[in-house]
Amino acid sequence: MKNKLMQLSLLIHKINRQHIQLAFALLALAMLVLGAGAPDSGGSIGK
Amino acid sequence: MILLLALLAGWLSGLAYARWQKRPYQIPTINYLWLAFVAFIPQLLAFYLPATRSRIPDGLAAANLVTSQTLLLGFAWMNRRLAGMWLLILGLALNLAVIIANGGFMPISPETAGHLIPAAAVQSMNVGSRFGFGKDVLLLPGDTRLAWLSDRFLLPDWFFYQVTFSLGDIFIASGIFWLLLRQGIPLIQHERLKRL
Repeated sequence: MKNKLMQLSLLIHKINRQHIQLAFALLALAMLVLGAGAPDSGGSIGK
Repeated sequence: MILLLALLAGWLSGLAYARWQKRPYQIPTINYLWLAFVAFIPQLLAFYLPATRSRIPDGLAAANLVTSQTLLLGFAWMNRRLAGMWLLILGLALNLAVIIANGGFMPISPETAGHLIPAAAVQSMNVGSRFGFGKDVLLLPGDTRLAWLSDRFLLPDWFFYQVTFSLGDIFIASGIFWLLLRQGIPLIQHERLKRL
């Protein structure tokens, strides 16, 4: 348990400001392409 | 999904190139980040969330799509200095033009729709009605304005995933791929590429 907590703590320290910036940038670009595009796979038919 | 694949492919290619060049991957500097999230909300409610999309009338869904895409065009314009953004703007403008010209939805012909779902299911739909809960509307080619900008392209039959897409979607996919790949290319090399 103690080891797992230490591993988690190390992982959190590895996530720095740049990782968060990259995640937000990718998320915003994903919103942009999903919103801008209009491809259709017919997946929403009958659902 | 096909556009998210283009995004993922561009990002992974950029990361791989940066790693090969032994340099860090540059995070794209995006202005007005909040606008992308705000602009997407109307589409999230009208097309993506199962709990809300079935309750929103078609007229409101069409208005949501046009409003959302107009705001996204503004967001893209604010970030036009990013590599590839001009391709994205062009694709978005083409999609928005055909959507506005056809009453707020992207037109798809019954013939193209027949490649995605069984022909019997297409025949049971009325021409002029929405194609499921997506952004498309079923229209005959003769009744479609700017038909060359509609969802008319298909992936090869042997491909595991079938989807129809527009010329605008091709520009959007190319733009996002280049934007994210470019972040892995050193500036000096990029300048050299620009001169070619």
